[in-house]
Amino acid sequence: MSSPPAVELTNIWKRFPGVIANAGAELRVQPGTVHAVLGENGAGKTTLMNVLAGVYRPDEGTVLLDGVEHVFGSPADALDAGVAMVHQEFRLIPTFTVAENVALGSAPPVLRRREIEEQVADLAKRFGLQTDPRREVWHLSMGERQRVEILKALWRDATILILDEPTAVLTPAEANELGRIVAAMAADGRSIIFISHKLDEVTRFCDEATVLRGGATVAASLPVSSLDAPTLAELMVGESTLVSQRRVRNNPADPDQPVLSVRHMTVHDIHGIATVDDVSLEIGSGEIVGIAGVAGNGQRPLADAIAGLATPTQGSVRLEGDELGGAGPNVRTDAGLSYVPEDRIGVGLAPRLSVTENAMMRTYRTMGAGPMVDFGDARRHCEQLIDEFNVKTGGLDAPIAGLSGGNLQRLLVGRELATSPKALVAAQPTRGLDVQGVAAIQEVLVAQAEAGLGILLISEDLEELLALSDRILVMREGRIVAEFDAETATRAMVGEAMAGSASKREPA
Amino acid sequence: MTRSLKTLLSLLAVLGLVAAACGSDDDAGGGDTKAAFVMVAPVGDAGWNFMHDQGRQAAEAATGVETAFVEAIPEGGAEFDDAVQQFIDDGYNVIFTTSFGYMDATEAFAADNPDVVFEHISGYKMNDTNFGNTFGRMYQPRYIAGMAAGAATESNKIGYVAAFPFPEVIRGINAFTLGVRRVNPDAEVEVAWTATWFDPTVEGNAAQALLDAGADVLTMHQDSTATGQAATDAGATFVGYHSDMSSQVGNYLTAPVWNWTDRYTDVINAAKDGTYTPESWWGGMADGVVDIEIPSESPVAAEMQQVKDQIIAGEFDVFEGEILAQDGSVMVAAGEKLDDGAMLGMTTFVEGVIGSAEG
Amino acid sequence: MIGLTLQRREQPLPGGQVRAVLAGAFIALLAGAVLLLLSGSNPVDVYLRMADAAFGSERAWSNTLSRAVPLGLAGLAVAVAGSMGLWNIGAEGQIIAGAIGGAWVARVLPDADGVILIPAMLIGAVIGGGLLAVIPAVLRAQLGVNEIITTLMLNEVILRVVRYLVNGIWKDPGGSGFPQAPLLPDQSALPGLFGRANIGLLIAAAVLIGFGYFASRSKWGYELRLAGSSEKTAEYAGISLRTKIMTVLTLSGAIAGLAGGIELTGSSSRLVEGVANGWGFAGIIVAALALMRPSGVALVAVFFGAVQVGGLAIQVSGVSASIANILQAMILFGALAAGVFTEYKLVRSSRSPRAAVAA
Repeated sequence: MSSPPAVELTNIWKRFPGVIANAGAELRVQPGTVHAVLGENGAGKTTLMNVLAGVYRPDEGTVLLDGVEHVFGSPADALDAGVAMVHQEFRLIPTFTVAENVALGSAPPVLRRREIEEQVADLAKRFGLQTDPRREVWHLSMGERQRVEILKALWRDATILILDEPTAVLTPAEANELGRIVAAMAADGRSIIFISHKLDEVTRFCDEATVLRGGATVAASLPVSSLDAPTLAELMVGESTLVSQRRVRNNPADPDQPVLSVRHMTVHDIHGIATVDDVSLEIGSGEIVGIAGVAGNGQRPLADAIAGLATPTQGSVRLEGDELGGAGPNVRTDAGLSYVPEDRIGVGLAPRLSVTENAMMRTYRTMGAGPMVDFGDARRHCEQLIDEFNVKTGGLDAPIAGLSGGNLQRLLVGRELATSPKALVAAQPTRGLDVQGVAAIQEVLVAQAEAGLGILLISEDLEELLALSDRILVMREGRIVAEFDAETATRAMVGEAMAGSASKREPA
Repeated sequence: MTRSLKTLLSLLAVLGLVAAACGSDDDAGGGDTKAAFVMVAPVGDAGWNFMHDQGRQAAEAATGVETAFVEAIPEGGAEFDDAVQQFIDDGYNVIFTTSFGYMDATEAFAADNPDVVFEHISGYKMNDTNFGNTFGRMYQPRYIAGMAAGAATESNKIGYVAAFPFPEVIRGINAFTLGVRRVNPDAEVEVAWTATWFDPTVEGNAAQALLDAGADVLTMHQDSTATGQAATDAGATFVGYHSDMSSQVGNYLTAPVWNWTDRYTDVINAAKDGTYTPESWWGGMADGVVDIEIPSESPVAAEMQQVKDQIIAGEFDVFEGEILAQDGSVMVAAGEKLDDGAMLGMTTFVEGVIGSAEG
Repeated sequence: MIGLTLQRREQPLPGGQVRAVLAGAFIALLAGAVLLLLSGSNPVDVYLRMADAAFGSERAWSNTLSRAVPLGLAGLAVAVAGSMGLWNIGAEGQIIAGAIGGAWVARVLPDADGVILIPAMLIGAVIGGGLLAVIPAVLRAQLGVNEIITTLMLNEVILRVVRYLVNGIWKDPGGSGFPQAPLLPDQSALPGLFGRANIGLLIAAAVLIGFGYFASRSKWGYELRLAGSSEKTAEYAGISLRTKIMTVLTLSGAIAGLAGGIELTGSSSRLVEGVANGWGFAGIIVAALALMRPSGVALVAVFFGAVQVGGLAIQVSGVSASIANILQAMILFGALAAGVFTEYKLVRSSRSPRAAVAA
């Protein structure tokens, strides 16, 4: 290729306390193309895009635009260089009109409303973005708001547009519309970076794809025409870093005595989209049921709804036959349902509190008489957890922010098991942990299942699911679309069900 | 937290020691007389506090006594207590508190500090030894100012921007109106209340409302010059208050003004000589505490000068009957004069005022 | 092109807030010295005078601590809400509401014994402040209405209410028409302690220490910290955020109301419009300096009180009010701004290639 790539990120490293988000990531985007960036949650996509958009400075590595090196001190620097990002959460002022939002911050000193409205309308027309510049944003649908965000980028003359999971909030028709807009922008010579989990969109909308895993690039600039969905899925999920063997369990599961049963559960998000769509499942005593699926297909709201953190639109959750109804999370814990949430810090653990204060979260209500907490009790409880689950801390009063990911998770899992639950929902319990940490958590889960605990294991690690589960359910677009016996299932079979072939996509 | 607590505590202790060691140098300066003034708002360049500061400076020059002042001290707050206490600790033994809301606190300080003379301005409380009050008969020059305004109006409507419906303010409005109607019985005075002593925006808006209602002469009982500004902008005539505002406002006619110099000089000298006896001192134009300059261009200048001379000579009384009240009833019967008590408690308007005396 | 940007530290600076506050205040004192030199004062004298006035004697301590009482309670009110991520900008109004509540009790029980009347007035104050805060609490908990706006706006509303009471239905019939509430019964005054300090100091200390203990040792306090650290974690732990918001905002108002009650019974002889005197807004600064931790409020309040007392003292000794105010503001700003550097560091940012790859 004679001309340099529009974007060239080389050997990008970015470390955060306890996490390496980018470990030598690479990205090359040619001018006038639509380039997909794929990867699991936590694969480093967002960090890499934030580096390109000037939000983060990389610890190492270079950013070249059209062959020229740039060091961005802020998003404004990146914007000056022509890089604009359309975030998942729109940054629009609801009571301003479309034109006002578009021009906000980059309008000429003397405002000529009519003139700006005309210019915005022209710009929208040029790229096929249907919108009325004079409407106030709060009237608009999510798809229209996204178009306003894209218009903002175009108004600032961005030549490189990063779209962060742009179809997540769109209806299928709006998604198709977005595909046309993206194509029009590419035809205009701009480069579009398209972050997505949805493999079929990638094959439909994009020219090339780069796949990230564990912060590094595992496949760079693959022509999507040469790929099918299962292959892409395989690349994203990858070989597990852990050589998991199927763990042999002493106590065979008893699926006939369900400890946890979910019936016809449907959950709608704030946009009214059904993220969980009529899901039913049962977990027997001592059984591990795995949920497989590409991230964002309803696993998180499913787990939240079972744990009482999200309110389902319909459906029921029963624990050993008792309906949990509208019971709050702590009532569910007391009844014997524990939850290891996907976000350890920020949901499962409170970042600014100490090890002890986090360890007592499930039991403080019974520690000490009346309104006071017996902190002696709390510390003894915490010491027990630390001992039993081998948590390395900087002391009982140290803030948990200083703990490594593995120790955080041991503390969290230990706390959730300390109440002697009958069923456990564990969402991504080993993600981001080092080899030892993964092994420790997996061993605990298996041991607990042997002791009779029913576990719903949500994971994006296929190896883990195959190794630990008795059964594997595959979620796609909020539904359970396939069920496998983990003894006989293969990666390929599950991966294909996760990705879904075009024929299976049509709603029944 | 415990460590930082210790750090801060020890630092505070060190500060305290240092201060204790180095402080207390020339405090409590023997038997010298020193006078202090507490003002409610910044001294500025016009208005109530400005005139007190003018009086302070002049009295300092006249008596040779050292003076000091604090400004912007809210009424009824800890700042007042702290400031007065600080003055006492620093050896000030004559303290003037120049705002009405200081009255109760000044009374309390007087009781606790029998060696310090307290003179409160614009209130009514006193004791037998060291606490008196001072005020001026502003209604006298107000009456003369009213004459100038009554002669100047063509629309026969005069606007009066006023702060609060205090007796002091109502008395001024009544005196002004009596002066207006002495020279122009058809003219009326319309009052607009602002509920603030100092807020140029609110005062300006009130002035504008009066202009819109047809007033062609404005005056005010406020601390800013906003009314004068509004009058100038509208081409109306302005009668000021507090101080000579001719340099700040166009279309300026005259103003009833304060002059505290002589009174302050007397109180300070009396304290110095040990002859101070508290009184409710209510001085008039004869004492010089209030005054007005006669504008020579006014068609009634000669008559104004004559009234001024009569007041100074004690031959004329503003509130001498017969005076009708706003509702037409008799407020002061013919041949009678209002005594000080009645004037100090005045709560109703005289005939010729438009507006409510209830605020 | 080289500029400077703030970058979040990966770990907060050890040594923490106290060091930063003192360093910031120190830098401000240096900068203030330049200002003082330019205005013709000797900075060393001025600063010694400030320290002396704030800490140099028993009376100085009593002045400083007397101010720390309303500052500490207002700061606690803001910090209680702030430790849950809520902003109570309405402490100023809640102090007024508290004073109204206390004054109402005094009207109802004018002849009660001090032992009964004072506690009853303080309880009335707590209820008054709490009631005013219930409005934003309900709006926030039930409808998600931003409490910053509602608490701020209610300040204006309650100011109008107290004005109406003082000028209207609670006007002192014996006040010669002056718009002021009647004097409180003599037995309602808080007994003195030492110097200007009264037992309000003990009450405030008990509340600050007691509440600090309760907040750190109780289930309620634990839940508050949890919700302040992460709302999602609190929900995960089964804590009702709505209930929490309701109780915390109401309690915040009640604490501010207590400050109003202590001001009323301690420093004021009657209900006045200016009873809050800016304490409520100063409380926001106190809470911010204490990093929204109830346990840190007391020390900051003493520091703030000392700055205020010192600022007034130098004004008494001849530094102009504006310079004294600028100096106070600089010290507080320096302390606040320096707090930023415990969590952020300054890095050079450069748009030129090469420069920043290191890090």
